[in-house]
Amino acid sequence: MIKAGQIEKGTALLIKGQPFICVEREFVNPGKGSAFVRLKLKSPATGQVLRETMKTQDNAEDITVDDRDCQYLYNDSENFHLMFTETYEQIEVPLAAFPDYQYFMKEGETYRVTFWENQVLDIMIPPKVLFEVAEAEEAIKGDTVTGATKNVTTETGLVVRVPIFIKQGEKILVNTETKEYLERVNK
Amino acid sequence: MSISSFFTEKNNSRYIQKMDIQAIRSRSQLEENLRKWFKEHSYLEVSTPLLSPWLIPEPTIANFATNYVSDMRKGSELYLVPSPEIFMKVLLKELKQSIYQISKCFRNKEQIGAHHNPEFTMLEYYTIDADEQDSIAITEQLLKETALPQTPEYARPPFIRMSVAEACREYASIDLESLQSVSSIRAKAKELSLTVPGEKESWEDTFHRIFLTFVEPNLPKDHPVVLTDYPSQIRCLAKEGENKIYRKRWELYIKGIEIANCYDEQIEQEAVRTYMEEEYALLVSERARTGEVIPDIDYSFASMFDETYPRSSGVAVGLDRLLMVQLGRTSLRDLILFRLSDMMDAGHIGIQ
Repeated sequence: MIKAGQIEKGTALLIKGQPFICVEREFVNPGKGSAFVRLKLKSPATGQVLRETMKTQDNAEDITVDDRDCQYLYNDSENFHLMFTETYEQIEVPLAAFPDYQYFMKEGETYRVTFWENQVLDIMIPPKVLFEVAEAEEAIKGDTVTGATKNVTTETGLVVRVPIFIKQGEKILVNTETKEYLERVNK
Repeated sequence: MSISSFFTEKNNSRYIQKMDIQAIRSRSQLEENLRKWFKEHSYLEVSTPLLSPWLIPEPTIANFATNYVSDMRKGSELYLVPSPEIFMKVLLKELKQSIYQISKCFRNKEQIGAHHNPEFTMLEYYTIDADEQDSIAITEQLLKETALPQTPEYARPPFIRMSVAEACREYASIDLESLQSVSSIRAKAKELSLTVPGEKESWEDTFHRIFLTFVEPNLPKDHPVVLTDYPSQIRCLAKEGENKIYRKRWELYIKGIEIANCYDEQIEQEAVRTYMEEEYALLVSERARTGEVIPDIDYSFASMFDETYPRSSGVAVGLDRLLMVQLGRTSLRDLILFRLSDMMDAGHIGIQ
């Protein structure tokens, strides 16, 4: 048991028998009232999002989780196929549990995966990821408006709004939380 | 004892670089605008102590305590005030004139975050012969006429007015009037899929679970919102409405953030005394359990509310938050200088 005030982003909790991961946490302290914490929780099994408001003094059932390294092999549009880097054992994780993760994870890369009783609770995606531009629209000639943008598609299929100077084959850094373009990386 | 390195060249330059000079100037401008406005509207500026030997009991506000020591007289435990209310109410009786103050307030256990800090700046004003409805119009005019030039539209009057019951109906689909008992509001919270702890909890805590989950995050954000008529079960020094279900009290929200709180001030001696006794009993029983500071109180505070005590409405504005919304910011981060968390987290050299 932990106090709700100690819950942080990433804390794993058992709610009504189901594991949830805290994805957002905000303290609210009404001028006339007890201190509360507003939580956004996600069920890794179903992708269900739960909003809970708890008093910071409430007890919450936290669960002990294991972090293990897994290599992302591929997805078959139903499941992610992952492999433990230590044992080479393979597992399947439904795409629905981690929406959009197929656009952020790169085949062959290793990710830290959080487990609870053999269930995948979380896959840690770095906050910034380097992608290659697989498809880029040609910039419209004569369009010199400052701040003009266009869409490009990365090798993982992620569509990102970028400045018009970005070309196919170039590398770009993307914020995985907001899906926003950060910068071009010349290497 | 430990030695910190907050002011070493490395830390200091990093810190100064982060200081937002524009925000420092804007705060000065906003306070100047406010002082000018209050002077023009015949409010007297007052200055009251930050250190006090007693407080008004408020179980939900944790306190800071310190000790006065002297070679000449007996020492005493003193408390940093969580609001200037206790002294301003005494002045109101003496002066029988509208007054205001911009001062520091201290609330322990506050998170140091986007919208909270244990030390913050409060603008508090009391208007003589006014009720909470008058205060809405006064505050609307005040914010309209003192706003910084860059204030976004969403932080400018007019205010959207809504009662708490209307907001609950709109955003949580509940009829507050039919949920007056602890058991009924508890059942409703469960029906809304909220987790309510096994042990008995107060009506107001369960209400806040519903309010903070469904209502507050969904309040309109395109204009300031005044939520009126708070449930009577949330006890405070605001008068009760005629039906006794609500109190004559409102809160101002801008972009979903609580900015100000207003009462039609309770001036019935017995009501003030009962409030103090009940709240202190609650405070003592809770804090005896948790070991938190139990401030002394002075029940004679209630005795000053006699027939000569003027009717008034008081408004408390979180000035740091007002500055935040007027600058279009979403966090107090750069607006509160020398943040406690930065100072407390500065590298400790330790004694070698």
